Amino acid sequence: MNFVFAAPWALGLLALLPLLWRLLRVTPPEPARVRFPAIRLLLGLPQGQDAADSTPPWLLALRLALAAALILAAARPLLDPAKPQARSDGTLMVVVDDGWAAARDWPARRAYLDTLLAGAERAARPVLLLGTAPPADGGPIASPRLMPAAEARAALAGMEPKPWPTDRRAALKALGTLEVGKVARTVWLTDGLNGEGSADLARTLQSAGGRLELVHGRTGRQLLPPAEDSPPDRLVVAIRRLPGDGPERVPERVVVRGLDAAGVVLARDEVVMEAASATVSIILPVELRNRLARLDIEGERGAGSVVLLDERWRRRSVGLVGDERASGAPLLDRLYYLERALTPHADVRRGGLAELIGENAPAVLILADTPLVPGALADRLAALVEQGRVVVRFGGPLLAQAASGATGDPLLPVRLRDGGRAMGGAMSWTTPMGLAPFGEGSPFRGLQIPAEVEVKAQVLAEPSLELASHTWASLTDGTPLVTARRQGKGWLVLIHTGANAEWSNLALSGLFVDMLRRVVALSQGGDAAVAGGALSPAELLDGFGRLAPPSGAAAAITEGVEATRPGPRHPPGLYGPADGRVAFNLGPRLPPPQALPLPSGALVAGLEGGRAEIDLGPALLVLALLLAMVDGVATLLLRGRLRRALPLAALLPVLAGAPAQAGDAIEAALATRLACVKTHDVAIDRDCLAGLKGLSAVIALRSTANLAEPMTVDPERDPVVFFPLLYWRIGPSQRPLSAAAMDRLNAYMARGGLIVFDTGDEGQPAAGPDTAELNRLRAVVQGLALPPLTPLAPDHVLNRAFYLLKEVPGRWDGTSLWVEQPGGSGANDGVSPVVLGGNDWVGAWAVDERGRPLHAVVPGGERQREMAYRFGVNLVMYALTGNYKADQVHLPAILERLGR
Amino acid sequence: MLPPPRHQAQHLAARLPPLLVAARRIAATVAQGAHGRRRTGAGETFWQFRHSQPGDAASSIDWRQSARSDHLFLRESEWTAAQTVWLWRDGSASMRWRSGSELPVKRERAELLILAVAALLLRGGERVALLSGGLAPTTGVGALERLATALEREEDSPRRPGDGKIKFNSTLVLVGDFLSPLEEVAAWVGGLAATGVMGHLVQVLDPAEETLPYAGRVRFQGLEGEGELLARRAQDLRAPYRARLAAHRDGLAALARSLGWSFATHRTDQPPQHALLALYAQLALVRS
Repeated sequence: MNFVFAAPWALGLLALLPLLWRLLRVTPPEPARVRFPAIRLLLGLPQGQDAADSTPPWLLALRLALAAALILAAARPLLDPAKPQARSDGTLMVVVDDGWAAARDWPARRAYLDTLLAGAERAARPVLLLGTAPPADGGPIASPRLMPAAEARAALAGMEPKPWPTDRRAALKALGTLEVGKVARTVWLTDGLNGEGSADLARTLQSAGGRLELVHGRTGRQLLPPAEDSPPDRLVVAIRRLPGDGPERVPERVVVRGLDAAGVVLARDEVVMEAASATVSIILPVELRNRLARLDIEGERGAGSVVLLDERWRRRSVGLVGDERASGAPLLDRLYYLERALTPHADVRRGGLAELIGENAPAVLILADTPLVPGALADRLAALVEQGRVVVRFGGPLLAQAASGATGDPLLPVRLRDGGRAMGGAMSWTTPMGLAPFGEGSPFRGLQIPAEVEVKAQVLAEPSLELASHTWASLTDGTPLVTARRQGKGWLVLIHTGANAEWSNLALSGLFVDMLRRVVALSQGGDAAVAGGALSPAELLDGFGRLAPPSGAAAAITEGVEATRPGPRHPPGLYGPADGRVAFNLGPRLPPPQALPLPSGALVAGLEGGRAEIDLGPALLVLALLLAMVDGVATLLLRGRLRRALPLAALLPVLAGAPAQAGDAIEAALATRLACVKTHDVAIDRDCLAGLKGLSAVIALRSTANLAEPMTVDPERDPVVFFPLLYWRIGPSQRPLSAAAMDRLNAYMARGGLIVFDTGDEGQPAAGPDTAELNRLRAVVQGLALPPLTPLAPDHVLNRAFYLLKEVPGRWDGTSLWVEQPGGSGANDGVSPVVLGGNDWVGAWAVDERGRPLHAVVPGGERQREMAYRFGVNLVMYALTGNYKADQVHLPAILERLGR
Repeated sequence: MLPPPRHQAQHLAARLPPLLVAARRIAATVAQGAHGRRRTGAGETFWQFRHSQPGDAASSIDWRQSARSDHLFLRESEWTAAQTVWLWRDGSASMRWRSGSELPVKRERAELLILAVAALLLRGGERVALLSGGLAPTTGVGALERLATALEREEDSPRRPGDGKIKFNSTLVLVGDFLSPLEEVAAWVGGLAATGVMGHLVQVLDPAEETLPYAGRVRFQGLEGEGELLARRAQDLRAPYRARLAAHRDGLAALARSLGWSFATHRTDQPPQHALLALYAQLALVRS
């Protein structure tokens, strides 16, 4: 234990205590005042001794203690449980790892350092402060210089973790140039990661004099981007952490979130990490998945735990035109190879052209050897290209023939000559030809060309002046193999050979897959890949994983993101033009984390040691306050006024004690409010409450129903009869109900309550009759007296209660909504006691404190959210008014009868 | 909440037999009383026969009795007369005091005693009057109410009424704390006694005035502008104060004795019945 005073000069006031003692001794306490009728008898009586008039000794001691406590509190005593340091005025050297891995618990690290430097300030020790990560200005690591601890504290306040790894070799270099005097103590606040030069740095620090103290915090975890060709229904993300011992080894729950560009959490999944690495699968519908802009580890800050997603992870819908299949001979099918090549990366739809370019046209349309004739269909397709779609066409005998026809083909990047050419046939002198290297400006640039790729036949472009500029790939003799033309926002691409193995073995090669991916990638409008070249920084991550405008020494990436090392010149972030951002992530550029080996002879400590410094000042102030209160009571006692002060004492418990908590039931009964059934799944409960809150606000705005703040009720414990509507969001881990809760809910339904069961499973890729939530629901409602159910009819009161509705979307837009069969039980005037669906309405209604929606709606659009709210209003009106609106239908007839 | 003093007083008086005030001096009567004076006089009750003496009117001879013997007899009836009891309670500021909230104020207790005595006297047919205030001697059913109303109306006054209204054959009941200097009390009481009335003094004191239970540094303040006294150690004053109080009481008792009056003390923490009984005994003693 080390006991120090932060403001020792205040102790000088203790010298005043004897003076106070004298003063109190000579000042008698205020006499008690008594009105006394028989005073005439008292007057003139001989008075006794005056000695006992002074303050009683115990009161004197009390007051002296009070003054002493105040003075001691002013001196700010600190109880430092750290081992007493050698009393020396030597230099304190502080080495801080401020790379990405230190960001996870940076506040704790800073607090530790602040405590350390405060101690040095008290001891008036000079400080050397060294950060091991390269500074953001791109320069070398500055040599530490001797400075007073107060200045070092100011420097520390400006220190932030960097979004790149530490460079201990550079730090060693900076240290080497320093004339190390007598360093008395060295503290290395490390991020726990091994790296180049770590051992050398540790050695140098140990030799600088004093003992090396190695202080560990929590090391940041790495989040790796999902494989670009991850399975169609999920993103598989790998997490890596330090395999070392200590707290990192304990199985920990890691939650990975997926956010869209606006910061709305679209997906959230968790895994319990036991080993050094783990994977998390994020399952999302494609519409949502394409909106993902960022993955990160929940609750962890740092550039290493953030993955930015760019177009490479978006899945594009690709339409393959052609509905006929060559039955029995799939390998001869014109679309077979295309389908196989595209399925891992894109959503492939196959159908007739008219069908595909209907309502929801895919981003890329591939026509393999399919000639087009001018007409409505071609015009529509051309319009789609103008809007940004990509049309990819493959050559073939039909196209070769049609292109030479009188009408020509309206959607080709270049004019085609009659017929094609065949090479290496029996009647030809030429041999099949390989591909020439891709030229500058080609989107295929950088792809490896396998030597075995040969083209045996192709369609030929009409030579023209611009032909070269439209060419993305050519054969070794310079004949264009791939030509493309920009049209509006979209592209027309022609591959001059076939999509199957008939004309070329290109379709059998890996190059075919890569080329198709690059072409498909064009459809997002980004031609960054086409432009190639330098990618200028657009938005960069800071050390805490936040996106910010570029600053400092950030420069453009020229060699491609795969080859660039993150550092001050290239911090992780988004690079490239606005319509073609490329994500440069830190995670994949980092080696797997390895624990820093402990230098022999070094002290190892945790951050907790620094934090445990106890400031005794407040405790002393409280003590002084208590003494003052005792003194007040004693004074009143001496003056005989205690009785008069007693009513004041009655106030004390009121001030001290919190008001007793009113029962939930009382609160529930005081106002009309909606309620969530407690599911014991925190996320679902929170969502449900937020959803009902949002809905209550909307209802208050649009109708005269003023609902109070919604509540969460536990049917196992709480009475439910007070609520017009219970919302039960069933999760996959919903626990079954006890018999008492069943009875409660049955009674609730029998007396006119409305329970909304929401499985929230319509948005799942495999939505259907067999989801986990539905199975849970089946198990949960076993003992509930549910009436026979029927799908919601269009003319049901629920669709008429406030708004006239045709659809009931929630966060998802599923179709199934079930209510009681009309005339089913006849109880409650035919008002259904249950509404059962899976559209996750609370998800759509949920708003945060500022009233912004918490979740995206799928397929999306404000209209869907509005419809969800309208359904919510109808639902509440239905719960509040029952079949009132159904009766309203008969009003004209009733009026007519009355009039007659 | 205690009922008003009048009801308390009636309640208290109901427990005692009617109090007959002995009249020692019956000279010129003012009014007929309801009870005999054991003397010959105007009345309806037979008292005695006596021999006729020269000078007696012939009409006053009881011929029926005289016919039985050789002497002439006169029939005399007993003299019945009401006596007036003058009541007084100290109305000065020092009476409005009590040492604790559980005790009655001294003035309340004094009024209670007075009214109780008055109730007893009225039941016995006597006439009662207030020494201070304008109430003339009164009797009958409503007299107690009138008395109580007059007491309530009367304001605080340290003034001691004189003897102007008192007739010589009356009885005085004086209730107060009698904490004034003995000379003042003696002068006043002596003035009253000079009219030849019979009197009873009842000293009502708070227990704190007897025991002086204070300790420590106490500043005593008088209630009638007597000034202040700072007692450095109040407990030191206790013994001399008691001695002085005892001396004062002795002086009062001696004063009463010298006038042929009675003196009693009463503490407000004692039940009022004690004082009433003592007063009753004194009034009855005088009668015999």
